[in-house]
This record gives sequence, C-alpha cells and structure tokens, in this order.
Amino acid sequence: MAMTTSELIEQFKTEATNTGAGAVVYEAKDAQDAKDYVLRLAQEKNVQHVVKSRSTLSQEIGLRAHLEAAGVQVVETDLEEWIAQLAGEKEGRATNKSIEQIAALISQATGKRLEATPQVLLNAARDALRPLYINADMGISEADLAIAETGTSVTLSNEGNERLVALLPCIHVTLIDREKLVPTLDDATAKLKPLSRELTGRKMPSYVTHITGKNTTGDIRGAFRARAQGPEEEHIVLVITAASKS
Amino acid sequence: MSKAMAKRVHEALTDENLQSALSGFNAPRRRRVIPDFDVLSKEIRRVKEESIANLPQLVKQFKAAATASGAVVYEAKDAEDANAYVLKLAQERAVKHIVKSKSMLTEEIELREYLENADIEVTETDVGEWIIQLAKEKPAHITGPAIHKTLGQVTELFSKATGEQLEANPQVLLDAARQILRRAYIEADMGISGVNIAIAETGTIVIVTNEGNGVITTTLPPIYVAVVGYEKLVSSFEDANAILKLLSRSTMGMKTTVYVSYITGPSQSTAIPGRAVLGGQGPTEVHIVLVDNGRLQMRESPEFREALYCIKCGPCLGVCPVFGSLAGQTYGYIYQGGIGAIMTAFHQGLAEGKDVASLCMGCLACREVCPARIDIPRLVSALKAKAVAEEGLSTKGKVMRSVLKQPKRMDRLMRIASHLQGPFVDNDGMIRRLPYPLNSLTEIISLPALAKSPLPDRMKAYSAPKEGTRPRVAFYAGCIANYAYPDLGEDVMRVLREYGAEPYYPLEQACCGAPAHFSGDVETMISLAKLNIAALEEEEPDYIVTVCAGCAMMLKNEYPRLLAAEPGWSKRAQALSDKIRDFSQLILQLTPAAESKPSRDIKVTYHDPCHLRRGMGIYGEPRQLLEREGFELVELGNSEVCCGFGGEIVLDYPELSNSVLKRKLDNIEATGVDTVVTSCLPCILQIRGGLDKRKGPNCNIKVIHMAELLAKDEHSIGLDL
Repeated sequence: MAMTTSELIEQFKTEATNTGAGAVVYEAKDAQDAKDYVLRLAQEKNVQHVVKSRSTLSQEIGLRAHLEAAGVQVVETDLEEWIAQLAGEKEGRATNKSIEQIAALISQATGKRLEATPQVLLNAARDALRPLYINADMGISEADLAIAETGTSVTLSNEGNERLVALLPCIHVTLIDREKLVPTLDDATAKLKPLSRELTGRKMPSYVTHITGKNTTGDIRGAFRARAQGPEEEHIVLVITAASKS
Repeated sequence: MSKAMAKRVHEALTDENLQSALSGFNAPRRRRVIPDFDVLSKEIRRVKEESIANLPQLVKQFKAAATASGAVVYEAKDAEDANAYVLKLAQERAVKHIVKSKSMLTEEIELREYLENADIEVTETDVGEWIIQLAKEKPAHITGPAIHKTLGQVTELFSKATGEQLEANPQVLLDAARQILRRAYIEADMGISGVNIAIAETGTIVIVTNEGNGVITTTLPPIYVAVVGYEKLVSSFEDANAILKLLSRSTMGMKTTVYVSYITGPSQSTAIPGRAVLGGQGPTEVHIVLVDNGRLQMRESPEFREALYCIKCGPCLGVCPVFGSLAGQTYGYIYQGGIGAIMTAFHQGLAEGKDVASLCMGCLACREVCPARIDIPRLVSALKAKAVAEEGLSTKGKVMRSVLKQPKRMDRLMRIASHLQGPFVDNDGMIRRLPYPLNSLTEIISLPALAKSPLPDRMKAYSAPKEGTRPRVAFYAGCIANYAYPDLGEDVMRVLREYGAEPYYPLEQACCGAPAHFSGDVETMISLAKLNIAALEEEEPDYIVTVCAGCAMMLKNEYPRLLAAEPGWSKRAQALSDKIRDFSQLILQLTPAAESKPSRDIKVTYHDPCHLRRGMGIYGEPRQLLEREGFELVELGNSEVCCGFGGEIVLDYPELSNSVLKRKLDNIEATGVDTVVTSCLPCILQIRGGLDKRKGPNCNIKVIHMAELLAKDEHSIGLDL
C-alpha cells in the first residue's frame, strides 16, 4: 500500500533525527514559517555569511531576500546564479549573458582583468568562491529528492558546489519540498535517471550526493555523535509549496 | 606459521594498550540482528556472482561510459603499474600536496609510501587513517584503521601534530584534526580516494563515508584520482543498491552512512556559454585507476573466486575471537581475518597468505555474519590445502601424516605414551607440566592423563550390533574419547541402551582426520575418510552417534566434500553423512514423547561448541534436553564464542589460545553456576584444563559432557559429579 505524504514525512523525520548523530528536522507550516525558521537560526547562531546552492524552493519563498534584508550576506555558489547575483539580478532571475558580459562581471568582482575564455573564467570563479565556502557560517542547499526510509536528502549537480555548501560551513540547512519525498532507496534510484536528464541534461550528473543525519566518526574512542569533518549542525526544513496538497 | 608471526602474536598479547583498547570488543553482547538479512544477503550474493562472472564485459562498459563522461580510465596490472601511473600524473601536474581518503587498496599497493618517497606530501584525511599515518603504522581493521589505539594514545599523537597539549576528549581531538585536515584539503593539488562500488552502466563510482572527508577530498582539489579494484564493478544502480542496503548495516548497524557520493566524471558547468566546461568548483580532471594485482587470477580460480565477493564491511572481524585478541596489525599484511588470508595470498603471495591462515581457529563465526555469504572457513581450508599441494607438508605435517594415516601405528603410539606419561601425572590423573616442546601447552591448560585402558579395549564385546527391532546406532568416539575419556564412551553406550537404541562400537574406526584438516593435508583426510566410511557403514547402522562436535563436523560435512570427485565414494560419504547424529540430537530423536522431569533445582550453563552450533546448526537440542531433564539453564554470556582450542592454534599459538580461553572462563565464572555442560571433547579438554590452571585442583566448577550428565542422572538421585 502506497504511503501518504504525511506518513512519508513522519518516517523521514524519525530516521533523519535518530540516525547516528542526527539532524534537526523542522516541518514548516508555510513559506513564511520556513523563511522565519532559517532567519531565526541564523540570528541565534550569529550567522553573517551564508553560501547557497541553487534552490527553486528558496526562490519561491524568497529566502535569500529575507536573509539579506536582515543584514545576512548570502552568496550564490551555482555559477549561473553567482554571475546573476554579480549582475544585481534577483534570485532565480538569471538572464542570458554573453561570455564578454560574464568576463566583465567576474573581472569586476575579482579586481582582475580576465580574458573572455571559459577556462580562465571558470578558474577565476573557483578562486573567488572557494574562500567563501570555507569562511561561511551557514550553507543552504535544496534536496532534489528525499528518502523516507532512511531520512536521506539527495542532490544532483554537475558543478559540485552544493557538496561544498553542505560540508564546509559550520551549519548546514537543507530545504526539502515535501512532495519530493519517496519511500525507499530503490524508489529514489528509479527517479535518478529521469531527474538527471531534467536537471542536468545528462544521463548521469557529475555528482549525486546522499546526506543522512550529521557527520560523525567511530575512529576515536567515545567519539560517536561527535562532529567529524563536516558541519556542527544539520537542519532540515520541510516546506509545503504553493502547488502541493497538504 | 612464521617466526615473525609468532613474535607479532606474542607482542600483541602482551601489549597492555592494545588489550585495553580491545576489551570492549569482546564483551558479551547480543548479536546485532539485521532485519531481512537473509533476503538482502541473497541479493548481494547474486549481484556479486553475476558481476564477477561478467567482469570483462563490465570493464568494457565502465571504461566507455566513464570516458564519455570526461574521466580518464587506466587499467593497472599490479601495484607498481598503478603507483607509477599516479606518480607520473602527479609529477606532470607539478603536484606537491595530495589529500587522500580511506582506501584498503591503496594500503595494499602502498601508494602513499610510493608518493612520499618521491617527495610528494600526502595527508590521510580519514581520521582513523590519519591516526595511523601519524603513528607510522598499518591499518588495524578493514573499516576502523585505528581501533587499536586508546584515547590516550590518540591524544598524544594529535598533541604532537598540533604542537599543543590537547585534552583527552574526543570532540576536542576531532576539532583539532579538522583544522589541520581542512588546511590540507585547501592546499592540496590532488585528491585520491578508494571506491566502494563502481557502476558500469554510467561509469559512476560510489563512495560511502561518515566523516565527510570523502566528499571534500573528491571535490576540492583540481585533480581527482580514484583507485578501484576490479572486484568493485557492478552493472547498474540497482545492483549497487543491493550492496548499499547491507553495507553500512553490516559494518556499523546503521541503515546508511552519513554520506554516499556518486561521482561520474569531472565537475562541469554550463554557466559559461558555448559548451560544458570541465572544472569550476570541483575537479577539472578525474582519473580512474582500475587495479588487478591478483584479482583477475582470483577470478580465474573456481575455488577462490568467492573471495572477490567481499564487500569489505568488516563484521567477520568483529566476531572473530582471534581478531578480538590481536587486532589487525598482528596479521602482518594489510588484510585481516580469514578473508584476509585469501586476499593476502593473491595480492602478496602464497607464503604470506598461508601465514595469515595459520591464525584461523576454524570457529566458523565469520561465515554467519558475511553479507555476501562467503564460506570463509572453506576458503581458509582450501588455501592451506593449496599451500600443501604446492610446497609439500611441513616437517610437523609429515610426522602427523605418518601417524594419522596408519591407525594401528597411532594406537600403538598412544599406548606407549600412556606408559611413559607416569612421571608427569599427578595423583588426581591430571598432567600439569610437560617437557619441551609441549611445555607451552601445559602452561595454559592441564591435560588429562591418557587412559591405561582406552575405549577400544573396553568395547571389544560391543563391536557388532545385536539383531533386534531397536534402532541400530554405531558409536563414533573420536581420539579424545578413545584415549583420554574412555569412561565417557562407556556412559554413552549405557545411556543409549537405556534410551532404546542398540549401540555398538565399530572397532575399525580411526581418527576423523581433523588434525590433517587443520594443516591442509588433503591426502591424509581422504585416506581416513575412506577408512572410517567403510568401518561405520559395515553393519548398516540407522544412525551414527558422535560425542565430539569436531569429529561430527568432519564426518558430516567434510567427508562428502572431500570425496565429491569419486562417484562411488561420494555416494557412500553422503549416506554416512545423512546418518550422523550428535548425542543430544539422537536422544531427543529416540524419545520424542518423553515427559519433562520435575525440576531438580540445579543450575547448569551450556557452552556451544563452534562445530556443533555453526558447523551443524545444533544448539536448540542440547538446551531442550537439559530443560527436559529438569535442569535450570543459565545462559552463558557469549556461549557461542570459541573456547580457544582452535585445531592447531592450541599447539601453534598457545598464548593466543589462552587469550580466547580466558574470556570463556570469565564468562563462565560470571554465571555463578558450577556446572558447565557441553558437547565437544576438545572444548572439555580446553575449558577443564583452563579452569584447573586458574582455580587449582579443587576447582568447584565442573565441565562435563551431556552424555556424562545423563549417565550420572540415571544412577544418582542428586547431582554428585
């Protein structure tokens, strides 16, 4: 018998919270509630710098603007979004640009005169963004899929920036559209190839990353649940979108 | 067994820090129950069998898909080939600093050392691996490289690495590690990792980790090198799932690891118009080095191919009593445990593999927990047999063969020994001190004196069954009953008669061949198998009863396997096998309707012999019988863990045997009960002998065989043992 969305959510919450060093799972009532949760968290933890990977949810609820309005600096790390941000464009409103325009934007941002060739610009972007991940207080990403039986968030990308967003800052927040919950690993795998084509245009993207709970290690006696190499806190915000049924 | 191995074993057993670190490992605990283990492990087995069978096809498919995704795939035939490739790449790219995440394969080929010798800095980023890098040691376990380190030792290592005195607190230590390792990630020009699974259909590699270092190592540095053993290849994501579903449950009891990364080619971006450009936030270059180093040869061998099904999860080590005493570095090579013996044989050399195999107690615990259903004990036996076939028997093996193969000679020697033992036998019939070379044995266990009148002498009148309607039961006693515990043999005959059987003792029975089995002497085993089959089948018994689990397992499981290639003998061996009954099993079978006796208010505990419980699946029957007889059974903690006798282990590595025995004795004492019942004679020898050493001749704890318990019950009201 197929599970209902509520059942999937309950299972997801239980698993994500209880697996090893668990995550904190917040079920947001609506878009405002989700935004407020993230801002409240940021304020409680004195977050000043946020790095973000692409998120349609965030765009839909206006999360970046909400944080910026409260004085939190948010940097987009998906290259297209970052470039759009440099151009002063709103979240999710990236316009098509020529390579010369991109070169100009990145040159301005980095204070260097950059040649309008892809590799040069890509390298410059990497050099500019890298320290930002490392110094960020918080990373925000969105799961493309979530697995209820294990409490796992799944992301797909070609760039890999969401992996750095999830691992390097001190706090990691994952936004999940409730409708993207599937029951099992097998269900997630079945969706992987169609989703890959849809999101990245390839049979399989460069990166598919599963994250469950919070990083830990058993390698030092008594260390279970201690923070290893990733964030100190993992927060998952389950969001109802305007389009989804409750 | 090499001198070097014997030395390492001794050092490990006398290393207080190590033994302290291992103490939690061996504490009595309930075995973790994994839901759906049977179904899931069957699936993994299927996936591995098919994948290894189809390996050439999968390699072709993987290479094509990975190359299409932008990765470079290199097939390395051995360690030198793989290492040279990585070094050349590093030198061409002017790599100065490499970060590495955990990989047993890279330990096997010694990649890090190779790169460091070429003046490239390599930092291990898995905390466990970093610990052993700092300590300049090899991994102590397949998944937990630093389990042998105490908190104090880690504190010392990290304090030295950071230059400050750190608090002996796990979080403090991890925070210090993270700071150093982060700097390494950021500086590094190249990242290297191992791979858990390689998916052919898309050229994808899969890495599972908990710490997060696996994600960072494979994303931050501009070049990423994945080092993959051929056996990691599977066809599809669905096949990969089969492995993932049990991998972390098996290793850690968690449904999944914190991070699972599926990587297909380099990072790429379409943000810059034109075409997709490689690099950006992640590596611009990805190299996948597929490594053979003996794996393909393993695949070619019908006997050893099964070892390639290993998913390197580790619980085989968690239940291994030898590992629990020694930890991994003692094994001397990279891979540990029974499965490690096979890997060592093919990746390092047969002599080295045989060395690792010499540590195996044959307790069968590993096989029970393996998610790929690998018959590790059979592989270890096969490896020992292969060593004998290729190198011949050792001197000790030759001597043993000359005695075992000639039952009459063996009988004569035992009788001679029973006459010569006089000076060594104490008044109570125990031998507590033997001269060299058996002195190390009697240091750990006191032995029973050999009987002046061995069982065969007493059984002359019972060598053939009487005609009648009762079930005809041939009694196979085994050497220990025959020469050390003949009274037990008489108890068996009496009890069987009282329970309605017609027992007899075939005089032509010989040693079951277990000692030859432990040393890989197949020729002797086959010779004895044929002898015993002929002796036992002659009077057409309905059943063959055994009192020694070790013997029983030989007759029941090994004889059919040994003789499988000879059709006539194979049939006879199988017929014999079908008739084998453990004593408890037979008693219950003979008296299915017997009523339970009233409670005697006597507590007993039961030790499960390895070869009875796991070798033959018998553990309910003895307990049922004990309770039916009115005894109160107090369960022994870790009842199913080996007593330590371990075939040749008690002779080759007596200290190791003693280390395992000690835990058994501790568990026995913890029950507070003074009667230990069991169904195996080496176990009785070992446990009784160990208790005598521990508590002296007036030890109140009695260790007896089920047959003795029932025999005495028939002739006394209370339990006066």
